[in-house]
Amino acid sequence: MEPIRKDEIDAQECGSVTPKSKPCPRPKPGEAAGGCSFDGAQITLLPIMDAAHLVHGPIACAGNSWESRGTLTSGPSLSQYGFATDLNDTDIIFGGEKKLRDSINYIAERFAPPAIFVYATCVTALIGEDMDAVCKEAAERLAIPVIPVNSPGFVGSKNLGNRLAGEALLQYVIGTGEPEREIPLGVNLIGEYNIAGEMWDIEKLMNSAGITLMSRITGDARYKEITWAHRAKVNMVVCSRALLGLAKEMESRYNIPYFEGSFYGAKETTYSLRQMAFLMNDREMERRVDRLTEREESRLIQDLRPYRKLLKGKKAVLYTGGVKSWSIISALKELGVQVVGVGTNKSTEDDVRRIADRVGDDTEYIPEGGASRIIKTVRERKADIMIAGGRNMYVAMKEQIPFIDINQERHKAYAGYEGLLRLAKELTYSLANPIWKLAASPAPWDKEDPYDH
Amino acid sequence: MTINKRKKPTSVNPIKIGQSLGAVLAMQGCYRAMPIVHGSQGCSAFSKALLTRHFREPIAVQTSALQEMDVIFDANRNLEEALNTVLSKHRPDIIGIIGTELTDVAGVDYQSMLKSYKRERNMRGGLAFSVTLPDFRGSLESGFSSTVEAMIDEMIQQVGPRGSRNVNTRQITLLPGSFLTPGDVMELKEIISAFGFEVIAVPDISTSLSGHLLTGFSPLTRGGVPLDSMLQSLQSGLTIAIGGSMERPARRLHNALGTPYKVFQGAMGLKAADELLHFLHQISGESVPLRYCWQRENLLDSMLDAHFQFAGMSTLIALEPDHLYSVSQWLEELGVEQKALITSYETPVVVEMEREIWIGDLDDAEFLGKGADLWIGNSHGISGAERIDAAFMPAGFPVWNELGAYMSTSVGYRGAMEWTNKAGNLLMQREARHRESSIRHR
Ligand code: SF4
Repeated sequence: MEPIRKDEIDAQECGSVTPKSKPCPRPKPGEAAGGCSFDGAQITLLPIMDAAHLVHGPIACAGNSWESRGTLTSGPSLSQYGFATDLNDTDIIFGGEKKLRDSINYIAERFAPPAIFVYATCVTALIGEDMDAVCKEAAERLAIPVIPVNSPGFVGSKNLGNRLAGEALLQYVIGTGEPEREIPLGVNLIGEYNIAGEMWDIEKLMNSAGITLMSRITGDARYKEITWAHRAKVNMVVCSRALLGLAKEMESRYNIPYFEGSFYGAKETTYSLRQMAFLMNDREMERRVDRLTEREESRLIQDLRPYRKLLKGKKAVLYTGGVKSWSIISALKELGVQVVGVGTNKSTEDDVRRIADRVGDDTEYIPEGGASRIIKTVRERKADIMIAGGRNMYVAMKEQIPFIDINQERHKAYAGYEGLLRLAKELTYSLANPIWKLAASPAPWDKEDPYDH
Repeated sequence: MTINKRKKPTSVNPIKIGQSLGAVLAMQGCYRAMPIVHGSQGCSAFSKALLTRHFREPIAVQTSALQEMDVIFDANRNLEEALNTVLSKHRPDIIGIIGTELTDVAGVDYQSMLKSYKRERNMRGGLAFSVTLPDFRGSLESGFSSTVEAMIDEMIQQVGPRGSRNVNTRQITLLPGSFLTPGDVMELKEIISAFGFEVIAVPDISTSLSGHLLTGFSPLTRGGVPLDSMLQSLQSGLTIAIGGSMERPARRLHNALGTPYKVFQGAMGLKAADELLHFLHQISGESVPLRYCWQRENLLDSMLDAHFQFAGMSTLIALEPDHLYSVSQWLEELGVEQKALITSYETPVVVEMEREIWIGDLDDAEFLGKGADLWIGNSHGISGAERIDAAFMPAGFPVWNELGAYMSTSVGYRGAMEWTNKAGNLLMQREARHRESSIRHR
């Protein structure tokens, strides 16, 4: 196997394909947080719901992680099955390729999936399993795509894994199929994983504007639709630095223009829809989008009114990665919430620039992970609420800080106009919950006053 | 009696959890501790995420963050860096180095490295140990018990030979198995101390993962048994181990210090509770406290009330070995058919069970348990239970579809009653659903 194109990766910034000066930082032993590249690859590919996803390695990589993501499906659920070759001592010594081959056969025969993604893990990469060859042979024999995903955990971060998954799609999937029937060509959404059903909200908006959603890459996707992604007229990269490379490569290979955007906040949503119509080069569509966004925005303003009143002037600390760090700021601003601290550890220079455009001068940048650092900012800036990923949720609870979960395990959809309203509601509910007062007051016997009759 | 395995090349919907997660869990029961997973960052991140999801608590864990080239060239350089960082930033009392499949396959010798590290820095006053837990062996349960064993070993080494002991016969060391919830550990401690004993649980997740706001957030563990109590536990007059997997650490204490031990393989159900209380009664000479006599009555009565509900019902159990044994003993008392028993790996406890045991995954559970009325297992079983139309009772690890699962109690009379009622209620609700749909389809 030639799994890890390490030199190539090192020369580039983690995630994006454009070479940048800052090399991929090495995770620091003793203070590293965050998942591995295998995790990242699964985040990107597991939302292909009808495919089988087989993890090649000892049990824990799959055993400790399957069914842990908030990505939703509207139909098939094979991707929610946890498949693993579950290598044992002997397999490690004599090699697991036979087990891998048998596993692929077994899955193909029993579940008849449209495709099988096979993931390398640290151990199988280390012992030099030739996954590519096994997959190639199996694909030919079984006549279904069997796609090796060479993103074992120890090559790097989650972001890098997202990107390697994107490369697997480019190399093995995109361009291998054609739409079944004549459909009006449209837009691909890249990097939107249908967490908590956000894809569905976006899809609804696109439908209302008469924009065809060609391929979902990969939220609630079916394998087939990704094979014809090269027929799209526009690519939108949704909140994903890591998959930018995919869009760039599709531009040069298939001449598909792309843009980066987000659906967090009304402004970003409107911009994204307009940009789609503009790049589609369709006047009629542009007019439809204008009508739709005007209607949605004015309705939203009405609906938001009571919440804005309660949220005005509230302060938040935002701790999330990459594109979301700035797109969520826009959303919060529209609700009147001030961002007093923002995490930048997973952001690129470009992200930081965009954050700077959106926040005030006195906003604190939190460059490095570590929950203690976030809490310090919350305390010093007297923030009312913390907005971060699930891993920090109970950190906030122990410190009795109101919290909103914004990452991939979350259960609430915040994209689009409806999403912003939902965010406003969640913020309000969280801040208004009686628990904060109750938890902050001591037990009656711990209060000073002695009991007198 | 018989151990079976269905022939298939792939694990489909695994119940096996990596050993290293068991180690991280064990260390959460020690105060101011920090487990360092010697592997790539993903391994510790997954453990942390999964434990957080189950316990709804922050979890203390760090990693040596190996990358490809580190594994090949010098993995211990990373470990040293991790140790330096953790020691200088957090000053933990207890550090556990958890070797993974990666360090195992690469043949990294971190044991000697740790020894010389301790010598060079003249590390005193804390406890630092290592344990080797590749994921291609065992499961959560073995990772947990091996870690407790390694911790005990290190303590014994620190305090030296048995001559210097000052045995306290009123003090009992409790070694709770990995399947016990913080609620269970609390209940066991209460039961034992009700007979006039002082009890030190090693580890003690009842004071760390039970949920409390006494301290704010800390990167180290926020509760659990403190190191001085752990060292003091070496003076105990007796060890009580709950779960067969905890026999090895108990035996360790016996071999090194001469501490007698008693293993209770099962912890659930009337008989198991009787055995435990009878034993405590005998060794203490104290009569059984009234509240347990009452609880025994309550349990028997609730079993009578529930037995109508259990008539003709069948269950499938998919749990870790010790837990499977306990649950199976309890179900026996309810007279429920045990249609399929699936566990993650083979241990002496399951080998000796007088039943057919399957080593497998949740796909096997679905296949073998078809027609069962009740599915008992971790939350990964939700969709499988749905597919075979069984009521689903979350148990084991991980459980994410129920609030407070980590506080649910299964041990003692009270625990048996809680579980009996819970299982009965689930069956009752299912029956009502079936009735409803049959009326609708008439
Ligand atoms: S770091 Fe490697 S061994 Fe650990 S979970 Fe990720 S892929 Fe698996």
